[in-house]
Formats: sequence, structure tokens, C-alpha cells
Amino acid sequence: MTREAFIARLREGLRGLPTQAITELVADYDAHFAEAAAAGRSEADVARALGDPDRLARELRAEAGLKRWEEQRNPSAAASAVFAVLGLGAVDLLVLLPILMGVLGTLFGCFVAVVAIFIAGGVVFAAGPFAGFPGGPAAAILCGIGMMAGGASAGAILTLVSTALVNVLVWYGRLHYRLLKPAIEPQG
Amino acid sequence: MVEAVQIQLKKGVLELCVLALLSRGDSYAYEIASRLAEGIDMGEGTIYPLMRRMQDDGLVETYLVESSAGPSRKYYRLTEAGKASFIVQKSAWADFAKAVNDILGESK
Repeated sequence: MTREAFIARLREGLRGLPTQAITELVADYDAHFAEAAAAGRSEADVARALGDPDRLARELRAEAGLKRWEEQRNPSAAASAVFAVLGLGAVDLLVLLPILMGVLGTLFGCFVAVVAIFIAGGVVFAAGPFAGFPGGPAAAILCGIGMMAGGASAGAILTLVSTALVNVLVWYGRLHYRLLKPAIEPQG
Repeated sequence: MVEAVQIQLKKGVLELCVLALLSRGDSYAYEIASRLAEGIDMGEGTIYPLMRRMQDDGLVETYLVESSAGPSRKYYRLTEAGKASFIVQKSAWADFAKAVNDILGESK
């Protein structure tokens, strides 16, 4: 493969990353070709040593998504981590997909339920004392507080479970790196 | 078997090797990659994600050097944190290597 073809495929594969990141990554590999040429190596030889540019791009993109999750643990970063791992396109990850969808669906359902319980608790707490709640106003207030507290703690547990789940997925995804593997594993 | 062991061993010392090379003088990625490729037979494309991670970790920093021929080169140098990390990792490696050698020596 020629330098131009390698760089073009790498750039194409990196689409979706921030422009600056693409520019930097492409510049690194382009400089690599330039240095190798100065050292008298053929483009085909260098391209072979670097590995498949499509695969390289997939792994670089995946790593960018996973790193975002490690830096900012929020739902949108979690989503980008999940997509990053799926983007690796490994066969056993695709097998994983239906299971993952089931788990994500269940988690989402639980979140909705938790929010609903919390809101219902708020309604009981605020409106119960005036609406003839069985057991009187004090029972309504206590019941409302109880429901809200229950909702909040269930939500906290769900958040912990989801975070752990994404972490496992990130770890599992990184196992599928072939080209980047030695460089990415944190050491020490 | 031997190959699998070597991969595991290399993985653990890549960062240490880069720190060692840079402790002797600033360098650019291609040179580091060539040294590591011939020294410990590492895939040369591996260097870029590795340097990126070390930069993110604050171990190295970059500066551009104008080149007479072609575009300017990106040089890497160790930060203070990188130098400190090198000292720690080097002595950890020496201790580990000595312990392993002692055990290997016993089994003879």
C-alpha cells in the first residue's frame, strides 16, 4: 500500500473524531512515512509495519471514546464508550449486542421506575395531607418521604451498577485491541 | 509459549524503555520507534498511542524543531514528573529483575 492510500484510509476511518484530533493523528503517521522514506525504506514496507489502517483507525477511535468515559463519567460519555466498543466490530462483541440491548433496556426501565416512584413520593408528601390520605396527614408525609428516599437510594444503586457495567465493557473492549494493545495498557 | 511470555514482558517495560531513551536526550517518535523496534522487536506503529498516553499522563512534553529538509519535527522531552517516574520505575525493574534472577539461579 502506498503512503497516500494508507493516510487516506486512516483519515477516512477516523471520521467522527474532533478535527484537531484527526489532524494530529494523521500528522503523526504521515511524519512516520516521511522519516522512513528519508531512511530509505519503501512505502509498502512502512505500511505493512504499521498494520491495517482501517483497523488502526477503529482502535484509535475506540480509545478516544473510552478515554472520554474515564475522564468524564456522565451518561453521554458512557454512551460514547458503548459505541466505541461496538465500533471495534469484533465478532464476539456483535454476539454480545442483543444481551447488551436487553441489559440497557432493563436498566433504562428501572431508571424510569425509580424516577416515577420519587415523583409519586413527592406528590403523596405534598398533596396527601390535604387529600384525606388514609391514616391522616402525618402518615401521608412520612409515606411520601419514605417513597422519595427509597427512590433516591434505588437510583444511587442503579447508577453504581451502570457505572460498573460500562467499566466492564471498556475493559472487555480493550481486550480486542490488536494494534494498540501494548501501548494502551496502563502500567505500574 | 515463549512468544506469549515475551509479549507480556515487553508490554510491561515499553514505557520504561521510552523513559530511558528520553532520559539520555530528547528524541522524536520515529527515532524512538526504530530503537525499540530493533531493540525489543516492538511494532513501530505502537509508539504513537504510547507517546500520546505518556503525554496525557504528563510524563513527556513536545516541542517542534525546524528541519532543514522537510517539515518540522516533533521532539519529546521528559517532564519533571517523567524524570521522577523513570527513577521509580527503573529501581522497581532492577529489584524485580534481581529477584527473578535469584529464583532462576536457584532452580539450576
